[in-house]
Amino acid sequence: MPSHADLDRQIEQLMECKPLSEGEVKTLCDQARAILVEEWNVQPVKCPVTVCGDIHGQFYDLIELFRIGGNAPDTNYLFMGDYVDRGYYSVETVTLLVALKVRYRDRITILRGNHESRQITQVYGFYDECLRKYGNANVWKHFTDLFDYLPLTALIESQVFCLHGGLSPSLDTLDNIRALDRIQEVPHEGPMCDLLWSDPDDRCGWGISPRGAGYTFGQDIAAHFNHTNGLTLISRAHQLVMEGFNWCQDKNVVTVFSAPNYCYRCGNMAAILEIGENMEQNFLQFDPAPRQIEPDTTRKTPDYFL
Amino acid sequence: MDNSGNLTTLSEESEEQPQQSSSPSSTSAFSNISPRPPSQSSSQKYSPLDWTDYFDQEDDICIPDTENVFHVYKAGSEGPVVFCLHGGGYSGLSFALSASKIKDKSQVVAMDLRGHGKSISDNDLDLSIDTLCTDVLAVLSTMYGDSPPAIILIGHSMGGSVAVHVAAKRTLPSLAGLVVVDVVEGTALASLVHMQKILSSRAKHFANVEKAIEWSVKSGSLRNIDSARVSMPATLMYDEPKKCYVHRSCLEETEQYWRGWYEGLSEKFLSSPVPKLLLLAGTDRLDRTLTIGQMQGKFQMVVVRHTGHAIQEDVPDEFATLILNFISRNRIGPHGIEIPGLRKPAK
Repeated sequence: MPSHADLDRQIEQLMECKPLSEGEVKTLCDQARAILVEEWNVQPVKCPVTVCGDIHGQFYDLIELFRIGGNAPDTNYLFMGDYVDRGYYSVETVTLLVALKVRYRDRITILRGNHESRQITQVYGFYDECLRKYGNANVWKHFTDLFDYLPLTALIESQVFCLHGGLSPSLDTLDNIRALDRIQEVPHEGPMCDLLWSDPDDRCGWGISPRGAGYTFGQDIAAHFNHTNGLTLISRAHQLVMEGFNWCQDKNVVTVFSAPNYCYRCGNMAAILEIGENMEQNFLQFDPAPRQIEPDTTRKTPDYFL
Repeated sequence: MDNSGNLTTLSEESEEQPQQSSSPSSTSAFSNISPRPPSQSSSQKYSPLDWTDYFDQEDDICIPDTENVFHVYKAGSEGPVVFCLHGGGYSGLSFALSASKIKDKSQVVAMDLRGHGKSISDNDLDLSIDTLCTDVLAVLSTMYGDSPPAIILIGHSMGGSVAVHVAAKRTLPSLAGLVVVDVVEGTALASLVHMQKILSSRAKHFANVEKAIEWSVKSGSLRNIDSARVSMPATLMYDEPKKCYVHRSCLEETEQYWRGWYEGLSEKFLSSPVPKLLLLAGTDRLDRTLTIGQMQGKFQMVVVRHTGHAIQEDVPDEFATLILNFISRNRIGPHGIEIPGLRKPAK
């Protein structure tokens, strides 16, 4: 069992974007699982806390986020999923967040995003990155097994409901969510899938999501859900918004996206949402970290035909 | 799931061994005396297959007031119409194997575009995007008149560009879905500079059809022998003076149109007001516009693994499943999108 000193050393190493050894990752994931299994599908969180959206392996931008928002554990953090895939440093990013969770379990909350899944990570980069950095898939397996234990949603002071995607037509109340059996791979459909995949929409009611998973929900749905459950706000991530945050549905829903210049090409700002001691809200926007180091993986031009 | 890839291969091989595999790789000194069926000759292995095993009928669509006659293949009799547009140098038969898997639940129509397959036009070299779109709309209008069924447009590569442009015109009221197969503006434009080289390095003359089929598989452009045996013959024509088969389409002479196929494609794709599916072969290679669009949840993307560029030919079963799931998920019926129970506020 590594001591706090060991963990502190590992966190220091990770902050320099240096991955842990395979053995260290395994131990870390074992410890994290023991912590996460005790957490709830709707994990209670106290204010003050800073709420963050998608990171997607953009390690240097995560460091920038900590520079803007304050270092852990001086600042409490709630991350709403999508730590891996697409960016160059999924391994370092997710390892750092899990290490912080293990070291400061009451000050860091990490939820599950739709990319914290075995299937998605095999398509969008985390699997390949693990193979490249460790020479085998063990680290990918340790992490994706751990992902099954991540809480699906969080509730700040019984008022602000946080999750990665959005609402589900099969879930009317927070108690419905509490009753889900979450320890499993993200299913292709059903309530657990919806929480990680759904999006708010300008149209009323429920709609088929253009993404191929989850639903779209209108303002009427969000307002009704907030009213039923005594909430003031649904805070979610999952969608790129050019300013880093975006209010919608008459302030029933806010989207927070924390990967600036997403995929190193989208030109968007990132943001985090500070919720203060009196539940006051403050958005902090930020640009990509000035220091962007690209690993030399060549992008192949497809030799496709006309 | 993924790390089982090697294991699966291993176990398949070990299962095969006791029964003496007939694969050409197992030519050991003893293989001649083992009681196995005689291995196929190259000409049998690469012999052409008839389209009638996959489509139900073919038809020639004469466009009124023009000299253009477009050849179409049809399968199935119920459900919405999956209307397929092939890539440059291919033909409607590129969709033969997948059509045979889709046709139980949906109708499939695959046309030979101008300058391809058995279609006849006033100018086979005019592959401008406008002309190709006009052709597709003319075929649809001639086939269905004023009451077209619900249509899901599927386009592969160059045909994907045609599908997107047709959809973006918003002149097809019964359009209910748009599927683009392995083409993205950013990477397509980037690869155009290599295209003449790729075209000129292709084999150009084939002693017989079997040799052409063999070439298409061995060069890696098609990875499914059965599909190559159906689709490849329609991409050839016999050159009498040279006494050999050559490519039917003169793609090298159409370079002036290539940029027009792809410029602005991503914006047009996103602006099409119907459910959209983008199928990519092997890797996620979205450009900026599509990355933003995907990250805003505006379309469905599926990266299909273990396939070459012609996904519909290389993995027809998986392709058919993806198309049928897209149709059913978006509730596209024979007359359009049917949404029972959705769009109503929660109780």
